[in-house]
Amino acid sequence: MNNIEFFRYLPGGGPSRTASGLTRLINTLLKEYRVYGTIKKDGFPAYAEITDAKELELFSTPTHLSAKQFLFPPKETLLRYDIRHHLHEAVIESGKQAIVGLHPCDIHAIALMDEVWAYGKPDANYLSRRENTLIVGADCMPDEYCFCQSIGTMNVTDGFDIFLHQIKKGFLVRTASKKGEEIIAWLKLREAKPAEVKELEARERLREASFKARLEADHKDLPGIYAESNDSPVWERIGSICTGCGSCNTVCPTCYCFDIKDEVEPNLSEGERVRVWDGCTLEDFAKVAGGHNFRKTRAERLRHRFNRKFRYLTDKFGMLFCVGCGRCSRACLVKINITEVTNELIRESNKRRA
Amino acid sequence: MSLFVNQTKEGLESPYLPVPGVVERVTRVTEKERLFSIAPLNPSLLEYGPGQFYMVGLPGYGEAPISITSGPGETKEFELCVRAVGNVTNALHRLKRGDFVWVRGPFGTTFPVDEMKSKDIVFIAGGIGVVPMRSLIKAVLKERHDFGKLTLIYGSKSPEEMLFAEELDDWRAKGLEVLLTIDKPDPKWTGNVGVVTTLIPKVEIVEGKTVAVVIGPPVMYKFVILSLRDKLIKPEEVFVSLERRMKCGVGKCGHCQINGCYVCQDGPVFRLSDLKDLPEAL
Repeated sequence: MNNIEFFRYLPGGGPSRTASGLTRLINTLLKEYRVYGTIKKDGFPAYAEITDAKELELFSTPTHLSAKQFLFPPKETLLRYDIRHHLHEAVIESGKQAIVGLHPCDIHAIALMDEVWAYGKPDANYLSRRENTLIVGADCMPDEYCFCQSIGTMNVTDGFDIFLHQIKKGFLVRTASKKGEEIIAWLKLREAKPAEVKELEARERLREASFKARLEADHKDLPGIYAESNDSPVWERIGSICTGCGSCNTVCPTCYCFDIKDEVEPNLSEGERVRVWDGCTLEDFAKVAGGHNFRKTRAERLRHRFNRKFRYLTDKFGMLFCVGCGRCSRACLVKINITEVTNELIRESNKRRA
Repeated sequence: MSLFVNQTKEGLESPYLPVPGVVERVTRVTEKERLFSIAPLNPSLLEYGPGQFYMVGLPGYGEAPISITSGPGETKEFELCVRAVGNVTNALHRLKRGDFVWVRGPFGTTFPVDEMKSKDIVFIAGGIGVVPMRSLIKAVLKERHDFGKLTLIYGSKSPEEMLFAEELDDWRAKGLEVLLTIDKPDPKWTGNVGVVTTLIPKVEIVEGKTVAVVIGPPVMYKFVILSLRDKLIKPEEVFVSLERRMKCGVGKCGHCQINGCYVCQDGPVFRLSDLKDLPEAL
């Protein structure tokens, strides 16, 4: 934890939430933004629209789907047309939104998404949505799948507007943008007391000591290890149990592959061209119209997905594209575990060097 | 919610807005392929090079990547030769003169025509691979005197499936040697029978002076490349064009990825030596 950080105290939490600082913060956001925050849904943490501060619940473990859904929606319109009237126009839709409850891994994931969508020909749809988005982070505690500590994404110093650290009697608040500072200044919070900062530091030490999932190599070595693992038997083994369901792609905060398709109204004149999430582990992902599939086995498709996270995009953007959230491992129906797979490759690599 | 049309208020344009083009002519090439001459409403779409492609679409059907088959420098129309294999291409086959299509692009890399100058070129095309090759051949024949010996090896399944057969004499007249082959014997065919590699030994190749361009179905590359290596053509002097599924054309959707490279950005034209670290390429 960085001691130079400036923390302010936001009272609240507990049963007296109506009067709490968190309620005041959410109410302030609601005036200006459509607010999405974490709630419990079917027993699991999930994002939903928050219209009342009472609905928000902050969780120590990740949501099932990440916050990418608000910046890169599962389905969005790219083009609208009416052929009878010879009209067609590209659609760029966005509204002011605040997302509350992102953990450091997810804030890192959004920073990665910002890079890819701005790269080359920029994607106006994503960027305009991003421009309109306020990010309120919240701290976390690892479960058995979290491995951000091994990836270097455990902490954030930017990429958010406001960040909330839970302490016993409320939150310590950091800001990292002008907008975030404006909102917090408006709440007129007092500076954190040394005892409160100490409590936070103790919590951070506990967090650091709580990781069960770890990678057995420095994260800087991962692109190299993946580069030499193309022929590893690991791919065939996990390919033989993978069902090709695409869950890992869906829940991943940095998977951004998409399909584009047309949807026509019953009048056959009006329609939309929409973008929907796609997944490189799905069977048809690399199949061309003539029938040739350029990655026809599940082993090849999994190898592709893992390489995208640890190597391909890293070569291009200089950053790992796995943020260590563990969502893919949690969601996998056949328990393919990203840390275990990576550790196997690390061990194979160590053996080659021994 | 705020809604912007075509570009954001900061002037950032949507990369997904297509330009309409009018179908000026449709020619039946074979049973499966048709040649379309298309006049785009925005003439900047005609600034393409040999090897590039457009995302060609129809409302209600979607888009597909289609190679440009006309030579560069056209001022009114470009040509696409389309095989009906999927949703979009089957819908394209139903178009008539005066209908419109939507076009985005041109996308991708071009064959380095200037670099090929003063060299001998062997064009090796299999099946529909002759479609993008035609654009390159036209570009080269336009400046014929700048190049050395030119040879086209073109193989198709049967004589009926041979594309642009009526143009071959014109190409020959302009100084291109044309060697043809079909896959299986056919009573109407008196020429060579066998895959394209059977014709490669017939071409005189001068080490360091000959470049090869290879475009064909996935299965063809491996064998052609082996046989070119036997003829001592270096991987730096071999160019290929690779097909992949594509949805966006702007390096985002992920469908065209070969290992870490995006075919719509880094390809479809590749120098063979640049593919050595991409095991998924060939």
